[in-house]
Amino acid sequence: MVLMLVVPLGFLARDSLNRFDATELMIEAVTPENYLRFFTDPFYWTVLVTTLRVSVIVTATCLLVGLPMAWRLARTASRWKPVLMLLTILPLFIGSTTRTAGWMILFSRGGMLDLIGRRLFGAAPVNLMYAEPAVIVGIIAINLPFTVLTLQSVFEGIDPRLEEAAASMGAAPSRAFWRIVFPLALPGTLIAGVLCFILCMNAFATPVLLGGPRFQMMAPLLFWAFSGDSNWPFAAAIAFILMGTTLALTGLANIAIPRRYRSG
Amino acid sequence: MPLLSRRHVLAGASLLAAPALLTRRAHAAETCVVGTWGGDYARLLRENIDDPILKPAGIDVVQDVGDEQPRVAKTYAQRKLPHGTVDIACVGAVNGYRLTDADLVEPLTEENVPNLKHVLPDLRSPAFVPHIYSAQVIVYNPEIVKAPPQSLADLLAPEWKGKVGMVSTVAPWVLMAASLLKSGTTTDFDAAKDFMLKLNANGLRLYPETDSLAPAFKSGEIEVGVIWLARSFMWRNGGFPVKGQFPSEGAILYVSGMVLPKNAPNKAAAFGYMNALLAPSAQQGFAAHMGYLPTVDDAPLSGTVGEQLAIPEPRPKLVVPDYAVISKAMPDLNDWWLKNMQHS
Repeated sequence: MVLMLVVPLGFLARDSLNRFDATELMIEAVTPENYLRFFTDPFYWTVLVTTLRVSVIVTATCLLVGLPMAWRLARTASRWKPVLMLLTILPLFIGSTTRTAGWMILFSRGGMLDLIGRRLFGAAPVNLMYAEPAVIVGIIAINLPFTVLTLQSVFEGIDPRLEEAAASMGAAPSRAFWRIVFPLALPGTLIAGVLCFILCMNAFATPVLLGGPRFQMMAPLLFWAFSGDSNWPFAAAIAFILMGTTLALTGLANIAIPRRYRSG
Repeated sequence: MPLLSRRHVLAGASLLAAPALLTRRAHAAETCVVGTWGGDYARLLRENIDDPILKPAGIDVVQDVGDEQPRVAKTYAQRKLPHGTVDIACVGAVNGYRLTDADLVEPLTEENVPNLKHVLPDLRSPAFVPHIYSAQVIVYNPEIVKAPPQSLADLLAPEWKGKVGMVSTVAPWVLMAASLLKSGTTTDFDAAKDFMLKLNANGLRLYPETDSLAPAFKSGEIEVGVIWLARSFMWRNGGFPVKGQFPSEGAILYVSGMVLPKNAPNKAAAFGYMNALLAPSAQQGFAAHMGYLPTVDDAPLSGTVGEQLAIPEPRPKLVVPDYAVISKAMPDLNDWWLKNMQHS
């Protein structure tokens, strides 16, 4: 771990304090200018806020949709359970870029939704691409299987006899779920949420392809600084800001969960 | 006594490894590692240079496929090593200039690369071999557009409102084209920015990469685009009938080529590779499949390819960027583009 994670991060941290030069690309220095550039420019704040907004919406949606799906999946005794499991993870068999290409076919002008709208309802041509909702839908499609799988394993670990006991004492299924199952699943739910949030904060292909050039999130911005500008020190600083923000919010989420429900 | 002693194991392992070590030594002097883009470009290098020219000359080519910027980064990072990992790095002309300016690449002469004498005068560079080039043109769908724009200035007309598309990753080249329009030079960026803001206000559509322009054309979302002529050639060959119009104020050239890092392990093979790169057959092969123009004067194009890639008469003004200026200005131009064109 030290060799593969800490040492490279150390190099990256050092690079983020260097100075950019158009010819030499990176000049050794110890300067906070890359971090100051980010935090003093409203444009970069906007990108960070957009990334956070999209991540929160995606995480909340994945948890809301994923919780009932995972609970149902964990509790079903159907012989179709393996098939349902397979259907849940099937989207993960396709690369995220390929999946995004599918959304592009659906969302773009001349795409399926546009054609259906025009042919069936006589609607005006519509392009759903290159907008925040398209990015949110695209990332949800990628993150939802991860969320459901994580939550399903959490629910599998909770003894179903607890629900039966609650039912025997007159509790309705929903009451048993919210009063008994959900509190027990809260640490695992937090892990699923954190996983989903981290994946979204670092999303690259979906914001680029579905969001288009006028929609900016942190990971494409980082890539742009490195690849478009060759500005390694600024790209390294963006990487640390993204990582720091993600870690800080993950820590906050952990604190927000009452201590008695936390794992460990 | 054990059946296999440690000495037996070591001896056996040495015997097994010997052929591999000997073969590696035998081939080391004849291997050329080329850091290149993947896809069609890598395939065409193999089909037009590696297999037909270098293999018969006894040089094995190994492709190190990746994006340009990591390749440039690697060249910088390996500058202090006695031997780098590639013999040749494929880069665009701007990065070719940067690497030359940073003194990281070997100067090239007609002595070590004889075919350099055929390189078109405007494309010559002290340490960068121009491999292919294309012009930035106004592309349109002739089935819809009967009177195509003749200049970038025409794109501000109300009839093109919301109908013009560009790729955001070529911002510096578009700004150079706008500068050419406004002042006849490629470096008047203030005037160029002013023009681009007006074009943006006229509903300019930006796309993340070149291939996303084709569906936009097909669906009727855009009717006109500003892209490289080579790409329109590929689209035409793919059955999509677009045409290219050279802007009346002149067209900016994109040049792609190769450099030889100073610490390349096998410079002799790299010089041979660069010479092969400029051979007429290799140049014609790339033109036929990718639509890029030959950078040499002894590779005429004939047949359909010649017709499709012919520079029209009267010959339009083809402008090579001022690399000394653009390589320094590029980060600021990209930053301006990101904040003013993309973020609006």
